[in-house]
Amino acid sequence: QVSVINTVDTSHEDMIHDAQMDYYGTRLATCSSDRSVKIFDVRNGGQILIADLRGHEGPVWQVAWAHPMYGNILASCSYDRKVIIWKEENGTWEKTYEYTGHDSSVNSVCWAPHDYGLILACGSSDGAISLLSYTGDGQWEVKKISNAHTIGCNAVSWAPAVVPGSLIEQPSGQKPNYIKRFASGGCDNLVKIWKEEDGQWKEEQKLEAHSDWVRDVAWAPSIGLPTSTIASCSQDGRVFIWTCDDASGSSWTPKLLHKFNDVVWHVSWSITANILAVSGGDNKVTLWKESVDGLWACISDVNKGQGGVSAVTEGQQNEQ
Amino acid sequence: RLLQVSKNYRSVIRACMEDMHQAATSTRDPALHSQYSTQVSILSAMELIWNLCEILFVEAAGAGPLLLRLLDWVRLHVCDVDSMVREVMSSENPAKHELFWNVVDIFVLQGRMDEARHLLSKEASANPTSVNMYKILDDLMKKMPVPGLGNTQTLTEMELKWQHWHEECQRYLQDGTFASNSHMESICKILLGDDDAILEKKELITTWYHFLVTRLLYSHPTVKPMELRMDLFLGRESSPESLDTILMAAFEFEMHQVIKECSIALSNWWFVAHLTDLLDHCKLLQSHNLYFGSNMREFLLLEYASGLFSHHSLWQLGVDYFDHCPEYGRVYLELHIERIPLNTEQKALKVLRICEQRQMHEQVRSICKIMAMKALRNNRLGSALSWSIRAKDAAFATLISDRFLKDYSERGCFSDLDLIDNLGPSMLLSDRLTFLGKYREFHRLYGEKRFSEAAKLLLLLMTAHIAPCSFWMTLLTDALPLLEQKEVIFSAEQTYELMRCLEDLTAGKSDKQKFQDDVETMKVEMLRLALARNLARVIVKEGTLEGS
Repeated sequence: QVSVINTVDTSHEDMIHDAQMDYYGTRLATCSSDRSVKIFDVRNGGQILIADLRGHEGPVWQVAWAHPMYGNILASCSYDRKVIIWKEENGTWEKTYEYTGHDSSVNSVCWAPHDYGLILACGSSDGAISLLSYTGDGQWEVKKISNAHTIGCNAVSWAPAVVPGSLIEQPSGQKPNYIKRFASGGCDNLVKIWKEEDGQWKEEQKLEAHSDWVRDVAWAPSIGLPTSTIASCSQDGRVFIWTCDDASGSSWTPKLLHKFNDVVWHVSWSITANILAVSGGDNKVTLWKESVDGLWACISDVNKGQGGVSAVTEGQQNEQ
Repeated sequence: RLLQVSKNYRSVIRACMEDMHQAATSTRDPALHSQYSTQVSILSAMELIWNLCEILFVEAAGAGPLLLRLLDWVRLHVCDVDSMVREVMSSENPAKHELFWNVVDIFVLQGRMDEARHLLSKEASANPTSVNMYKILDDLMKKMPVPGLGNTQTLTEMELKWQHWHEECQRYLQDGTFASNSHMESICKILLGDDDAILEKKELITTWYHFLVTRLLYSHPTVKPMELRMDLFLGRESSPESLDTILMAAFEFEMHQVIKECSIALSNWWFVAHLTDLLDHCKLLQSHNLYFGSNMREFLLLEYASGLFSHHSLWQLGVDYFDHCPEYGRVYLELHIERIPLNTEQKALKVLRICEQRQMHEQVRSICKIMAMKALRNNRLGSALSWSIRAKDAAFATLISDRFLKDYSERGCFSDLDLIDNLGPSMLLSDRLTFLGKYREFHRLYGEKRFSEAAKLLLLLMTAHIAPCSFWMTLLTDALPLLEQKEVIFSAEQTYELMRCLEDLTAGKSDKQKFQDDVETMKVEMLRLALARNLARVIVKEGTLEGS
């Protein structure tokens, strides 16, 4: 019952590495080995090219949309070691910040929950993770976690903002104490969870289960339950679902979703975290849902691309 | 009452079917036509299933009426009959029509005795030789006991009666009464519930469930609901289609199976979600706890409502559905409502109202911030300000106030005066905003020629440090006309204060800076002069008053 709603012909000249829908599902940003980032208006099944952003000098690996309350902001990262933040001002898209603090390819970018402010996490092949925080007036503050993963970091994903233990509404004006966390996956076959304590980022957990490079991690949105869920996929063809039942985040249990025959490149959650999209080298995008008895079942697969499907995004997905 | 609801659902489905049918017949485009026709058949299947569920589950018809309901159900859904009937009845000599016996048979198969008898009478009048046979058959049909037809007999009584009648039919058949007329003979056999006879009429029956009901009618009319088991089926050669599996599951009272099969067969959650909801209200679904912690009803409703949210206007319905999901509805709503594209202010306001009604403060703040940012980008400062006030976003309000003030210094006038004038207590959201409001008030007072009040306010703005330092020059310049008035406005003390402010302001600057900016220097000079003059005048004035 899951069908392809739309196909977008991006006229990229080379492989497309990522495609991300914006918050409302009205725009699509794509990036490619042809070094460009393109933005399309995809309302009502159409595809109108809004912008063709040039600025990278190498293949662009990922794009990420920031929360609309900060305006129309898109981040992109590339093999050229740069992270570029683009902003739409008066109807035109321009480069608003460029970060060159990494020594090699930046593989992944992910915006933090809007409650924390405008913060971008970047994972790089030099093994480090940088956190860029917007402090106002075009200024960005940088915090770096060096040697987060040996050999390199391939993916970063933020945990949803959950205020600890507050069921009572806090008086307005008071900033709630968020505990910021994010997950990262690297070439050391590990998934790591990082936590901010007193302004410093510390490694909180090490999740071991993969036997090859971890290619993507995705922290599921929160639906009010005290459990946290992370999906990770790897070069070893496996996708694991990690769950942690207690609020302190200390014991994570892995469950194997499936072993695929080829590299799995990306995993992505739907808004309400009940569907996981998985894309891999076997040219397929599969959608998975958890069944009554806790086992994950594939609810569809879409076999559309000619080459390997390397990026998946779950925006407003309609199951009709 | 729930039965009524169920009936409402069915009439809705029928109405849709009608519309589709209309659309299908009126369109010229073959692709559209086939599309509509498919829809019609899907809808009719849905109605069929729903109807059966209604009979078996909602109404939970007991032993007697069950069969009647099932008969109704069958009659309703095999509609080819009517066209045949019309054809035969409208012909000159119905009895001679080739389809005559088909129609009679169908009537008998569907238990429509009166209509069958009516037609048979035509045959009798046309064919006097068979009058005797006809009379007997007619009599038999008239006497056939039908369960639950408003009579108060108990089931046992009914069964006894039926037994007698059955034996009577048997006798007539064995006596060879109908031997000369094969049609009548086969009817008699049907009345006796003879499987082969019924099977002979396969083309007329068309579906296995029709067969089932007919067979029940003539072999076991007092069937109880629980006895509708699979082993009553016969003659199904081909592998079951999804519709068949669903109906079979229903006959077996496997509700969960029905729901599961429907979910698989239908591409839309509408049917399953609403059917499950109805069954849940009938307290028929045991709470089958899913991993998500919610029950099946909620699960399906959540799925359905989530689907609605991607529609540009149906999302509002989705909100209501989420409201009726006690466990996860709220969370799902929170997550979904933020993702609705806010193309127009009206839409944003609608969404906000929904959030506010449900005390979703986080979402309210987030949406207001988004709208404020949008307005700012489009240079609609007033709108941006009102949104950030609504979001209680002090930082943003300060930013916008600064923009307003900058605009003022550049252009000499304010935009969005109404808004600023009516800020009221929300002015206190941010210091800058307070200043903006008060400054505007100053201008108003000046305009209304309430000079002394204006003067007091102006001074207050500086001394209480409400005004940012960068703005002091402008404020002092605003004081100039007040100082130059014919009437003395500033008191001596106030004048001293003003002078002090001016000195504070210029003290910080080095001599070099002062000389480089000619306009600045001139202004300062003018101010000093005006202040001194005012001081002179006021001292005299105050001195004089004291004297007289």
